[in-house]
Amino acid sequence: MRLEDSFTVRAPADKVWAALTDPATIGRCLPGIERIEATGADAYRAAIRVELGPIRTVFNVQVEIRDQAPPRRMTTVTRGEEGTRASVLSADSTVELDERPDGTTAVRYASEVAVVGRLGKFGLGVMRKKAEALGRTFADNFRAWVEQAAAA
Amino acid sequence: MTGFRRPSTVAEAVGLLAADAEARALAGGATLVAMMNADLVAPSALVSLAGIAALRRTETLPDGSVRLGAMRRHAENAVMDLAPGPDVVRRAAARIANPVVRNMGTIGGSVAFADPGADYPAALVAAGAAVEIAGPSGDRAVAAEDFFVDWYTTALGPGEIVTGVVLPPGGAGARSAYDKLVRVSGDFAIVSVAAVARLERGAVAGLRVAVGGCGPRPVRVAEAERALLGGGLDGPAAAALGAAIAEAADPPDDVRGSAAYRRRVIPGLVARALAACAAPLEHAA
Repeated sequence: MRLEDSFTVRAPADKVWAALTDPATIGRCLPGIERIEATGADAYRAAIRVELGPIRTVFNVQVEIRDQAPPRRMTTVTRGEEGTRASVLSADSTVELDERPDGTTAVRYASEVAVVGRLGKFGLGVMRKKAEALGRTFADNFRAWVEQAAAA
Repeated sequence: MTGFRRPSTVAEAVGLLAADAEARALAGGATLVAMMNADLVAPSALVSLAGIAALRRTETLPDGSVRLGAMRRHAENAVMDLAPGPDVVRRAAARIANPVVRNMGTIGGSVAFADPGADYPAALVAAGAAVEIAGPSGDRAVAAEDFFVDWYTTALGPGEIVTGVVLPPGGAGARSAYDKLVRVSGDFAIVSVAAVARLERGAVAGLRVAVGGCGPRPVRVAEAERALLGGGLDGPAAAALGAAIAEAADPPDDVRGSAAYRRRVIPGLVARALAACAAPLEHAA
């Protein structure tokens, strides 16, 4: 499934870029993150708790930044699994930053996400809704955190 | 705790569930057992509610409300004798899945699972029902509208179970309708509509309309319902109600239909449900 959204942060693009590539900031802003760490210059490992009704699981994912043009554009590749590979997740994402003349930055992201395995059997429509809500919550948290850091 | 437990009181069941966050309450098993078979959930233990006689009881309360025990099966609810108004729940029960599921599933289990495409949630919201809950910190009742919180998420806290639903009386001149659009008979709703109206000399004196399958919770727009008061169940205010619900809906895009399709069919289904409420009682859908 394809997920797309955008949000605006009142901070310059280089500040937003730095925050987006900082595992501590992502860990603070993305709901359900139990653990996140850098495993290389452009690679991260994270454990993300996902709950959908009675289903509760933890996805272990590796995220790799493939191409980057700081502070404007990056593409990332995410691979992960949950329940000892009962489900396998893959996501190819593009993030674009657009600094506006007023000093704010628009963050646009698009992600092609596939879930194969036991969770793939469970309502894709609802999974998309949950993913969209997760994206919005992340955007709100991220915006608040970066703007507060920029103001400090 | 491991294995299978079969307590005989609500207090005992709540105690077992509160002691182990990974244990699950087993009602009829229509959904939970299927999910276990699909390897989607693996509870540490099952606490069967089948041995709790109190959860099967149905009673009429002093104010005329009807209390349905959580362990009543859909098949029983589909043929129960309810007054016009609260009988929207009987209509919804009759449309659930197929006879096998209706003989297995319970109203408490369905409500606690809160599938957005299930039949009871919209019917309970339209009926103005309350959901009764027992838990480690005591008993409480939550309006159906507040009970459904998010996708597959309810107001139930850790260790809490649904013990029953309370349907308030519809009053004189009450009518109800329940309809759902499905791909094949017995499927989950693409869109479902539950309506409870009260008519006084042909004019609308009360109205609640809830749409299911089109968001994390049943969709209801009380303000647009009020615009019908004093008039009929058709005309511009009725059309505006359907449009307002379609606007407020947050439907999923899935194999049953796109979000846009669901929004598109809501007004027509709402109009049909209102027309069914307006029809003479013996012909009401």
